[in-house]
Amino acid sequence: MVDKKVITELSEIVGEEFVSTKQDILLAYSVSASMASDAVLPGAVVRPVDTEQVSKILQVAARYNIPVTPRSGGSSLQEEVIPEPDGLVIELMRLDKIKLHKELRSVTVGSGVTYGVLEKFLKEHDLFLPVYPESALVCTVAGNVAVNGAGPGSSHFGCTGELVLGVEIVLPDGKIITTGSEANPYSPGPFQRYSFGPDITGLFIGSLGSFGIITKVSMKVFKRHKYYDHNTFGFETHEQAEQFMVDVKQNDINGVFTSLYEGPVLELFMDMIGEELGVPKYEWPFRTVSMTIGRVREDMMRSDAELAKKLCEKHGGHVIGISQLPYQEWNGRLWFFVRACYVHGWHWRTLYHHQTPINAHRSVEEIRDVMEKYGFLGHTAGFASGHSSFNAYPHLYFDPQDPEDEQKIRDAHKELAKTLFKTGAVPFKLAPYWADAIEGMDNYMAFLELVKKTIDPKKLMNPRVLGGL
Amino acid sequence: MTTIDLDELLENLAQCRRCGICRNAVYEDKGFDGVCPVWKNSAGFETSFMRGRIQVALALLDGRLEKTEENAESLFSCTLCGNCTSICAAEFDPAKCLESVREVLNEIPNAVRDTIAKKILENNNPYVDENKTRRDWVKEVGFDIPGTGEVLYFTGCTAGLKLPETAKSTAKVLNAAGVNFAVLEEEPCCGSVMIRTGMVEEAKKNAEKALEMIAKSGAKKIVVTCAGCLKTLREDYSERFGLDVPEVLHMVEYLKPLIESGKLKLKKSSEIKKITWHDPCHLGRALGVYEEPRDILKAIPGVELVEMETNREAAMCCGSGGGLRSYDGNLAKKIASDRIQDAEAIDADILATACPFCEHNLKDGANRIGSKIRVVDILDLISKQLQ
Ligand SMILES: Cc1cc2nc3c(=O)[nH]c(=O)nc-3n(C[C@H](O)[C@H](O)[C@H](O)COP(=O)(O)OP(=O)(O)OC[C@H]3O[C@@H](n4cnc5c(N)ncnc54)[C@H](O)[C@@H]3O)c2cc1C
Ligand code: SF4
Ligand code: SF4
Repeated sequence: MVDKKVITELSEIVGEEFVSTKQDILLAYSVSASMASDAVLPGAVVRPVDTEQVSKILQVAARYNIPVTPRSGGSSLQEEVIPEPDGLVIELMRLDKIKLHKELRSVTVGSGVTYGVLEKFLKEHDLFLPVYPESALVCTVAGNVAVNGAGPGSSHFGCTGELVLGVEIVLPDGKIITTGSEANPYSPGPFQRYSFGPDITGLFIGSLGSFGIITKVSMKVFKRHKYYDHNTFGFETHEQAEQFMVDVKQNDINGVFTSLYEGPVLELFMDMIGEELGVPKYEWPFRTVSMTIGRVREDMMRSDAELAKKLCEKHGGHVIGISQLPYQEWNGRLWFFVRACYVHGWHWRTLYHHQTPINAHRSVEEIRDVMEKYGFLGHTAGFASGHSSFNAYPHLYFDPQDPEDEQKIRDAHKELAKTLFKTGAVPFKLAPYWADAIEGMDNYMAFLELVKKTIDPKKLMNPRVLGGL
Repeated sequence: MTTIDLDELLENLAQCRRCGICRNAVYEDKGFDGVCPVWKNSAGFETSFMRGRIQVALALLDGRLEKTEENAESLFSCTLCGNCTSICAAEFDPAKCLESVREVLNEIPNAVRDTIAKKILENNNPYVDENKTRRDWVKEVGFDIPGTGEVLYFTGCTAGLKLPETAKSTAKVLNAAGVNFAVLEEEPCCGSVMIRTGMVEEAKKNAEKALEMIAKSGAKKIVVTCAGCLKTLREDYSERFGLDVPEVLHMVEYLKPLIESGKLKLKKSSEIKKITWHDPCHLGRALGVYEEPRDILKAIPGVELVEMETNREAAMCCGSGGGLRSYDGNLAKKIASDRIQDAEAIDADILATACPFCEHNLKDGANRIGSKIRVVDILDLISKQLQ
């Protein structure tokens, strides 16, 4: 229970309508899109409309020592937004302003702006923010910055964090700072992240709301690609496929989305949604790389597409030539994956992580091992996610109405985090369960703890993440 | 007693992955510019859109949440418009599930719901004590309408008692097309609102009574002007209650071939300018009737049909369905104003629709914001263009 006095103060800040302690509302905020995780009832939920309100709310929380969970879309999958018992959820969807800085090739969005909303806005200006989490219709840009996400577009443009130019942050004590070039009050806008010394912006990327609340985030935007090539490439060994992916990057081929699939996994998915997506029936090989090349100029696209075919053959692969799969992955990027994730009816837990492309098969092997050991269904696929990394997204399936099945997945998930860590994989973010998985990082964790203590001495901001520092 | 298979319902509800796409997805490729009208026009907590409603439903069903009127609020602050179903990527129909949850949990007190059901059972309509007055409009059409006949115009409570102009227009149009039709001497309510609010047992009783009266009229075909009546008579009576109902058509379905074959001729009007079409949820998303009304509007000489940003499967709702207008009138009207603003954004002069319930609420929504847009029923439009 949050004290009545606190609720009165919060109501004075946001208006009575936007504070709630109603049982049904608290229950709805006790969960997120994270499956197979325990619900935790908060004590109150508040929905501020602007930065000043957020600042005042954090001051109240600090004064009364109430733990705070910042929440935007609520679409996170790794328990990052599950509240604290009797804590305060600050829901940020009402901060919905968008400001374009056309000449600076950047945009500033409030923390309630989703990718879907921004995509529509930018399209009118022939621009795009070229990295889209697969949950783009629900998740916010600020939320994805807070989790250090990635998605379609990352294969060329890197993770979401790499597109950030600066953030406006409300610190745990209520102070407001702006990072990047906009730290200078005379700045014409966000144009340079690396300014005034250390990369303070970076501190908040992937911080899961544990250092403060992002109220605005400024992102690089790009002219929309006009020319695309969609193609699929088949390989009989994982080495061939992985080397091909490395070579694609090495040769500056603009694969905006380059996915890697295991044959049986692709077959399973295409059996379920191939027809719906218009992907022709095909006996998919051991490994398939599905790639969309995007360019603003046609000659560049053509040249990239030709070279990709040559590289495929050079590495012992064959050009499959089915374009519908990568076409749907890219053109339907706001929808395709959600549909693919839900069509089969199972619930799943995921364990997002980065590998190097040449290590992609290690993630496949590890998930296979836990599947065998615990006896459940699952898979992993992934996509190139930057300079030299590969984002794997293992799914561990369970029956939502079978508690035993769910427990099995929880256990397997824990174990998989540990074994993946040992393959050299890295998580984007320190979601709760990674704390048990990491080892040999004592100095790193001690330093992180020092940072946390300095910024949030009362440890009120989303205390469950960053290994519960 | 409930007609719902609880295990199946729980299995369906378990399909929700809590992704939240049903909140405010903006997705041009599928025509969405937002999803839940309640989320958009209310305080916007999680329980104001489907993700939260499902969590509340599950908690009420399994006892984690006490079954009180207050805790069940979010089950009723929903128009059942089905826009969430349109966008949901999972393999279930969330809006339909919510309707079923209302039925399963109908022991939870809800004064508004109970009053409506009581009135319908007592008076044959949810609005007035004297149901006979719903046929008063017949005196004003200038010709006799019998109480029996092969084609029955089932007026519906809202047209009969609140917007009789639509009923009169319909009669004129049918007459001009040379159709001999009947209107029941004492028409009952179709019971739509009872089904939507979970009073299904009562609705079944009502449906049996209504069907008996329809049968007595000798009807072989029923035409309606209310999208709610259409869905209820065509779908719910047979699918839910196993009743054998004559063919039921909305007037837009019935008239389209008459207009196309030249049986019903429409003249040009200098007054008609830019018209936009509001898809009633029960006509569009529920029954897939999207093109007939548009084709009719396009057949009126001089009409420019313009589409609002959201239309067809992704159309935003008028705000009145699912019992919301009775449950929270202010919210319903706010949603209606929002829809009117969609029409204003494309400079429409007229917003046409084919459901008196939508029309009634949209008119209130227009008044609420002082909009100059004229909200009209498509039958009123057609009747003015008869040659
Ligand atoms: C079907 C599906 C597919 C997905 N695919 C992807 C994918 O491809 N790539 C990917 O990266 N993710 C993916 N996700 C996960 C999820 O969408 C991302 O984690 C997303 O970034 C969460 O954003 P959100 O706005 O929903 O944040 P929330 O879930 O509300 O919060 C996430 C975390 O960020 C913190 N936070 C939120 N907003 C702020 C803020 N303004 N300031 C400070 N902290 C904040 C929260 O405290 C929490 O720790 C997927 C999810 C689903 C359901
Ligand atoms: S109802 Fe569908 S769209 Fe909404 S949260 Fe559940 S799964 Fe997602
Ligand atoms: S049916 Fe309509 S009002 Fe109800 S939750 Fe779904 S979108 Fe919102």
